[in-house]
Amino acid sequence: MGASLPPKEANLFKLIVKSYESKQYKKGLKAADAILKKFPDHGETLSMKGLTLNCMDRKSEAYDLVRLGLKNDLKSHVCWHVYGLLYRSDREYREAIKCYRNALRIDPDNIEILRDLSLLQAQMRDLTGFVETRQQLLSLKPNHRMNWIGFAVAHHLNSNCSKAVEILEAYEGTLEDDYPPDNERCEHGEMLLYKISLLEECSSLERALEELHKKESKIVDKLSLKEQEVSLLVKLGRLEEGAELYKALLSINPDNYRYCEGLQRCVGLYSENGLSSSDIDQLDALYKSLGQQYTWSSAVKRIPLDFLQGDKFREAADYYIRPLLTKGVPSLFSDLSPLYDHPGKADILEKLILELENSLRISGGYPGRSEKEPPSTLMWTLFLLAQHYDRRGQYDVALSKIDEAIEHTPTVIDLYSVKSRILKHAGDLAAAASLADEARCMDLADRYINSECVKRMLQADQVVLAEKTALLFTKDGDQHNNLHDMQCMWYELASGESYFRQGDLGRALKKFLAVEKHYADITEDQFDFHSYCLRKMTLRAYVEMLKFQDRLHSHAYFRKAAAGAISLSQNAAYMLSFSYACAAQTFSILASLSHIFHVLLLGLETWAKLTEYGTIKSYSLPLSGASCICLMDVSMSIAEVRNEESSASGVSKLGKRHVKPVDPDPNGEKLLQVEDPLLEATKYLKLLQKHSPDSLETHLLSFEVNMRRKKILLALQAVKQLLRLDAESADSHRCLVRFFHKVGTMTSPVTDTEKLVWSVLEAERPLISQLREKSLTEANMIFFEKHEDSLMHRAAVAEMLSVLEPNKKLEAVKLIEDSTNNPAPINEALGAVNEWKLKDCIAVHKLLVAVLNDPDAALRWKLRCAQYFPCSTYFEGKCSSAASNSVHAQIAKNPENGGASHSDGGEIADFVESNGKMEAFKDLNI
Amino acid sequence: MVCVRKATMDDLLAMQACNLLCLPENYQMKYYFYHILSWPHLLYVAEDYNGRIVGYVLAKMEEESNECHGHITSLAVLRTHRKLGLATKLMKAAQTAMEQVFGAEYVSLHVRKSNRAAFNLYTETLGYKIHDVEAKYYADGEDAYDMRKQLKGKQSHHHGHHHHHHGGGCCSADARPVEAQPESKSEAKAST
Repeated sequence: MGASLPPKEANLFKLIVKSYESKQYKKGLKAADAILKKFPDHGETLSMKGLTLNCMDRKSEAYDLVRLGLKNDLKSHVCWHVYGLLYRSDREYREAIKCYRNALRIDPDNIEILRDLSLLQAQMRDLTGFVETRQQLLSLKPNHRMNWIGFAVAHHLNSNCSKAVEILEAYEGTLEDDYPPDNERCEHGEMLLYKISLLEECSSLERALEELHKKESKIVDKLSLKEQEVSLLVKLGRLEEGAELYKALLSINPDNYRYCEGLQRCVGLYSENGLSSSDIDQLDALYKSLGQQYTWSSAVKRIPLDFLQGDKFREAADYYIRPLLTKGVPSLFSDLSPLYDHPGKADILEKLILELENSLRISGGYPGRSEKEPPSTLMWTLFLLAQHYDRRGQYDVALSKIDEAIEHTPTVIDLYSVKSRILKHAGDLAAAASLADEARCMDLADRYINSECVKRMLQADQVVLAEKTALLFTKDGDQHNNLHDMQCMWYELASGESYFRQGDLGRALKKFLAVEKHYADITEDQFDFHSYCLRKMTLRAYVEMLKFQDRLHSHAYFRKAAAGAISLSQNAAYMLSFSYACAAQTFSILASLSHIFHVLLLGLETWAKLTEYGTIKSYSLPLSGASCICLMDVSMSIAEVRNEESSASGVSKLGKRHVKPVDPDPNGEKLLQVEDPLLEATKYLKLLQKHSPDSLETHLLSFEVNMRRKKILLALQAVKQLLRLDAESADSHRCLVRFFHKVGTMTSPVTDTEKLVWSVLEAERPLISQLREKSLTEANMIFFEKHEDSLMHRAAVAEMLSVLEPNKKLEAVKLIEDSTNNPAPINEALGAVNEWKLKDCIAVHKLLVAVLNDPDAALRWKLRCAQYFPCSTYFEGKCSSAASNSVHAQIAKNPENGGASHSDGGEIADFVESNGKMEAFKDLNI
Repeated sequence: MVCVRKATMDDLLAMQACNLLCLPENYQMKYYFYHILSWPHLLYVAEDYNGRIVGYVLAKMEEESNECHGHITSLAVLRTHRKLGLATKLMKAAQTAMEQVFGAEYVSLHVRKSNRAAFNLYTETLGYKIHDVEAKYYADGEDAYDMRKQLKGKQSHHHGHHHHHHGGGCCSADARPVEAQPESKSEAKAST
């Protein structure tokens, strides 16, 4: 380095490098300038100066200088290395790898560059390259522990476990017998555990166990040792020893369910599909003995409720529930809730808890007991019952129970939280939010109830208020950035979804992309650990981390954000084509849709303002009376947001503020202005397809996007995937019919490509059993007959009927109106409860309004549903805060709640759930 | 009711979410990675019957000081899941691992002066004592108690009792990823 410079300058050059490494950039810059004064063309100095400037936020200068340096000295490995580092700092790893490779062509044995290259290869999962580089490093420096380990890990990652084991053993061969010294025991133990896990992975189970026993004294982490041993014993079929070891593990931690499950497997009492009654008896006995041994374990008390049935279940549940009610454990319901999916158990629980309630009321104690319970036991029993009825959809009973509990003890915060949740389920989001706020005010120091309140506010589309509330728990008063900096994804998602519902696509997109960004950052986070873990020897954790990263994008938050961004892009694309058709026309289309007076009410001025904010975009989608009213709400809340911003950007109350870069696009308008929103959507879609291929939603989104992009074969792929995952789903059916209907209306093929597509379709259609020798109308009716008891299936059939035969709209409406809200059959998991879900009823209402275009039917539907869901604001039920005389109306009329009354059951969450109904797409018929 | 077990990689996002719901002191994902990739033995979670993470403990070894000791970076239990003794179970699990794997001599933590519930848990249930008060430790200006609990310390495997040596020796590590450790102050809070 610094070659061809005279001694003085050569020393200065060394100083630049040193200053760079110690982050003393100014010093380095000075040294560089001193050299350049004499040798203005010196390539390596120019490069290093560029690299230094890069760290001083002078990026464009940096690139210019580094490129110039390289041009002046193409044969310098330093210049290439620096160029690579520059790319690396910008996360341009592929480019960086190229640069390193060029550097290595000039200086093939440069260890520093090889190491840097290996890190990038690990990051990019260029595994064969990684193996090669690590091999080179090892042969250059075999006395370095890290190089042995790195080579082994590289082979492991490259799916060559046995090679990895060989390398580790060769490495062990280089060690003295009394290795390790005291200060390396941990690392060495980790290495040994890693090796044993490798042996297990390549099915050398006997050897793994042998090795484990041989090295036992050198493995410091005894817990992992035992867990590893038991795993090997079970795989080797040595179940008796396995059972003993699981018991030993349980005595260390009796609350680990996985040990319980392992023990069950070892004694042959584990089955996914239920056990015989004699097995159940044995299992019951096993847990009874465990319960005596580990009295403080809650696991061994709870697990039997899963497998016991009938009277035994009842008895065990009774025994389980009583002390927890006495103690007042607030999570009791959530603990029991999985049992509601077991047929019959909900009924038993209901009877049981009601008996407890009754006895407490009459005698003040539990049935059959003479001791009195403290008064709080009744309150917690009511609390449990309220959640029970909430779960069963009997919101009126749930509310009366929780109200009684609140009356009993008005100071228990949990009661308000639960009441808030019941109101949310019952469809009154505004009242739910104000109750959550009431709960929050009862303990201002508790962030959890603050978070819960913020969540409810966002669900009720009170974004401004939600932000203000969240602000109470952030440090520097700059709540937004702080929540963002701390990767608070639930908040960003909920906020984005709310903006989306309110039609503020720009802000919604901004939030969704913020979540995407977190995932990109998390991927990036692994970089530093490629070398760190090799030194630390936490190799098992390291490999786990890499695997975790590889499936990171299948995580729920990412799916939600991507789904949001895709749906949004579609709306944006739809609107883009709309706006090309010119605004005046848009306006007249809207106005002509029998709601002319509402639109006129808004006035042209508001209209212009909305357009400016981009909100108009989605609001031209749901062309209903309700949405026009919403439009006004939105314009109000925008004004509020605006006020909010102007006050926030003024002088802060705290006096001191972080200087943060001003967001040039706070409302996300620029984000929205992409040439081809659908292309953007495709980007996220690909990630979903790769990481969540078994989610119905992925393919629903794919279907919509590809239909819109006229990618017929890709849309067909989506349909086939949907049928593969769930052919009986209403959404799958919808896509199937829409697809072949659309195909049927296409003009005959002209170009070669079109002919090709055509031939594929002709070959594929007969393979789809639903359509074999049937017309679409027939297929639709067969689907109807199969699912005529299900509201959502009827709705799908009706919608398809109107697509296939537009003149049969009345018939379609009748299909929907003839649906009956039966009580769900007894002995089903949930017992006697009406079947219909609020969410579904709202979706059907929207269908009647926007697709079937039948305002009379929609009104009838609304009145009918208001009976089923008296708390629903959407249906203006008599108990909802939308009804002026309701109890909750008072609380809900909080002046700060800008747009609070807009409570719409159709959340984005609907998209996300696998049986989501994709309401926003209803209007996007092609 | 709730399963208490060692945290895995797949728990980290949920741990972060749990932290953001409960506590005012928050960390980026990288800090969680840093913990689990340095001391995988010291992270525990409480998972409820629906598979949801309802509590966690995030702990580390202090590697710079000359006395090998553990430190509780963060402890949280959802408000909805209190009264189950989860904070105690999580803390005990982390403390045991500190002692057994790393031979920690003591474990330290910080707690807000105003957080009586957590303070009581630490002093009464877990046996911590106030070691010091750190003025204005928290971003909002509140003081922290610097608390400590003596652990038994690990006996060296080979040579019997060695008080001068660190039993474990992972405290000797020089390795630390660039910028993996943010400046954030740690906080321990129990929602008992």
